[in-house]
Amino acid sequence: MKILGKLTILLCGVLLMVFAMEFPNWGDPESPASTHLSPYFIQHTMEDTAVPNIVTSVLADYRGYDTMFETTVILTAGLACFLLLRIERKKIPHRYYRHEPTGVTLRMEGEKYPKNSAVFQRMDANWVPYDFVISRTCRLIIPFIQIFALYVVAHGHHSPGGGFQGGVIMGASVILFAISHNLRTSIKNFSEKTAALFSVTGVFIYAGTGALCLLFGEVFLNYSALAPILGGDRVMARSHGILVVEIGVAVAVTAVMIWIYYNLSSAGKQDEGL
Amino acid sequence: MIIWISALLIIIGFVFFLGGSLGMIRLPDFYSRLHAAGMLDTMGVFLSMAGLALYVVHDFTLGNFLSALKIILIVVFVFITSPTATHAIVDAGVRAGLKPWTKKN
Repeated sequence: MKILGKLTILLCGVLLMVFAMEFPNWGDPESPASTHLSPYFIQHTMEDTAVPNIVTSVLADYRGYDTMFETTVILTAGLACFLLLRIERKKIPHRYYRHEPTGVTLRMEGEKYPKNSAVFQRMDANWVPYDFVISRTCRLIIPFIQIFALYVVAHGHHSPGGGFQGGVIMGASVILFAISHNLRTSIKNFSEKTAALFSVTGVFIYAGTGALCLLFGEVFLNYSALAPILGGDRVMARSHGILVVEIGVAVAVTAVMIWIYYNLSSAGKQDEGL
Repeated sequence: MIIWISALLIIIGFVFFLGGSLGMIRLPDFYSRLHAAGMLDTMGVFLSMAGLALYVVHDFTLGNFLSALKIILIVVFVFITSPTATHAIVDAGVRAGLKPWTKKN
């Protein structure tokens, strides 16, 4: 089986090498992409989609299928991490608690454990969260990071940015929270179920926008069909449609980043860890 | 006049950066190197960004004022995060059991 896998990889590599020889040279002005596609995009983007940023319009409109399946790939990565790593939470025979007024750490065994309170605080066995300065600073910074993430998502039409970048920044803010406090606090605020639900919702928003275009009697992902809902003429509808799709991408990327982080940092147990 | 002040600020900021990088190479151990890097970098960013903000507002319009405001925001966030990052790295060093350098060893 191992030999078979290696042979497959070798075959794919050789095929890739062989066909890479046929490709046009890097930056070749005579290549089909430079003679047909690029001039069209550069000249017609504004009148077709009313989006000043050509990259965004190519990514989410002209090449919408590709981006939809990119989002699906990200969802698949999250699912793969989940299926490979997630294990049933085993009952840990003991837990550690800190008694706040005295500062004593207690090890408790048995079935019943005290609830987390101001007096008794549960601690991880292996991971000690960072101290006061770091957790407070992260709490101060995280809202700004999230506002910036929303800005990047919404401003993808006019400047570098868009769903993928904004989603990653948004996910990083939650991961920062998890690092500066601990995994349990983070899961309490943004649970694994929420992450899974949001990652599917993001892909659903994207594919659903495409399907809605079908319902209005046009081609899949042809946002002009949505002009009656989104308002404006058919060109502005494309611009708005791109924004809707970008929001879907951002939701999916955010949730998948957090989901992968939860599974990787706790080795799939999600009880304690970074 | 204001351009010269901003140039002076930027140059002084670069001097701080230079000191930080020299300290990172020359100082004896982890903690002292981090001390040089953390403190002087923050000061260097503050001074050079202040110089840039002054340069931007020297012909005063609303757009230039907003640019200067964004530069000041950069300074604010660097001022909050950079010392915290230094603190976190030092914390990690202490937890890993790294002893500070003394003159004896």
